[in-house]
Amino acid sequence: MSTHAHTPATATAASVRDGSASAMGVVQQCLDRIAVTDGRVNAFTSVLTERALKRAKAIDAHPRRARMKLAGVPFAVKNLFDVAGLPTLAGSKIERDAAPAARDAVLVRRLEAEGAVLVGALNMDEYAYGFSTENTHYGATHNPHDLSRISGGSSGGSAAAVAAGQVPITLGSDTNGSIRVPASLCGVFGLKPTFGRLPRTGSYPFVASLDHLGPFARSVADLALAYDLMQGPDRHDPACAQRDIEPVSDLLGRGAAGLRVAVLGGWFREMALAEALAATDAVAQALGTTRLVELPEVARARAAAFLVTCGEGGALHLDDLKKRAQDFDPMTRDRFLANALVPAAWVVQAQRVRHWFARRVARIFETVDVLIAPATPCTAPAIGTEWLDIYGKRLPARASMGLLTQPISCIGLPVVSVPLWGMNPQEPHLPIGVQLISAPWREDHGLRVAAQLEAMGLCSAPVASFARAL
Amino acid sequence: MDHGAYIDAAASTLGLNLTQEQRSGVTLYFGLAASMAELVNGLPLDAADESGNVFVPVPPLAAEAAE
Repeated sequence: MSTHAHTPATATAASVRDGSASAMGVVQQCLDRIAVTDGRVNAFTSVLTERALKRAKAIDAHPRRARMKLAGVPFAVKNLFDVAGLPTLAGSKIERDAAPAARDAVLVRRLEAEGAVLVGALNMDEYAYGFSTENTHYGATHNPHDLSRISGGSSGGSAAAVAAGQVPITLGSDTNGSIRVPASLCGVFGLKPTFGRLPRTGSYPFVASLDHLGPFARSVADLALAYDLMQGPDRHDPACAQRDIEPVSDLLGRGAAGLRVAVLGGWFREMALAEALAATDAVAQALGTTRLVELPEVARARAAAFLVTCGEGGALHLDDLKKRAQDFDPMTRDRFLANALVPAAWVVQAQRVRHWFARRVARIFETVDVLIAPATPCTAPAIGTEWLDIYGKRLPARASMGLLTQPISCIGLPVVSVPLWGMNPQEPHLPIGVQLISAPWREDHGLRVAAQLEAMGLCSAPVASFARAL
Repeated sequence: MDHGAYIDAAASTLGLNLTQEQRSGVTLYFGLAASMAELVNGLPLDAADESGNVFVPVPPLAAEAAE
């Protein structure tokens, strides 16, 4: 079935701009697709039918319709983004009691200003603390490419909705890997921009020192366009850089030409299983690089991100932990309680190590433009998996999904996650992602390489066939 | 290392009443955080190695506009 929900956002917008399609028709098809598929995927926690159809009607009649870059394009957001009239759940039961948001998050407003149409809010791990979206309150989000497996998290609904062909673009957040992990496991493109690039105003925080927002899409062009339209400073987010908009969409055609590319060794290969190494090596081969680079003290950098997460995340929820700990998801509760007890000395030392690491990595980027590493240690585990074996080490499966992303977000580097297929011969239907990591503020480098890999046919994000539907 | 005494004292100080069920999980996860602390504390740093977090003062005009 070919619908606008299967079509790239850029093509859908072109059709609505030239009048060969209506925003109303596109949005109705999208809502129909969600109705047909979401009983199996469970990506959505709210579907905004009335709002979306009203907005689509307004786009069709809009005097700027022919110039809107996302005219009539449906999108959805992780339910930690404010949506006017809805309580911002952030995956929790507790926030159901919160007052409805008075207005949309800044990034929602920026996309809608270019004609996009918000159709719903998406499932996530409670308060963004997890890598699996096995949410006790709202149910697990199932991986559209194999419904028995996790979607990844914490932006699991955001990745799954794109993989299921429900919407072409979604937004999520990434504190320790929560865009890159689900993008990897669901086989879609994801962008975690530089820390401070996109304003977080109107989103529920997790760890203010580490929180990033970013898009998911099924093509690099869609990913870049959404990113371009969301750029720009916002004075209400103190971490948002006061930088001019630096558009990347027009640069994608340059591909990897002139860029120095290397593979990350050490930790990033030691913590990756065969399919993750195969995917990384396939990307390296396609880009013609054999250069291997090691970052110093990666385990300590990951520990720094871990402790900053503990300190800030625990403190943020202290009041509710005191008053209503029983209302937290059992998947997060004891971790938040433990985090609230972490001594300040550990967190301050972690922040110092973070800066030390950032300065060392900056030196490496003097001789390289893009670093390649797996996004997850393996393809999507089955829902309910507790343990993962990585070369004889028995590690908790859910936390281990972030082993390869956490050291990178720790220092705020921009990363594009690109999906590859067939890297595990026993499970050829499952995707796995590769991180394309750039120096701060050089999202263009990662996106250019991603565009080349997509053009070569090595990376793609097909809509799930649901052939393995349970 | 046994963190039990610290967990009890810190929880009490913060007003967290841990149930027996929660306490076993909290002990597990606090121990994990402690192992991470060993890693960050094991990196030799000197006094000039400051946190990367930089407070940005808010000038009056911006403060007024933010209200």
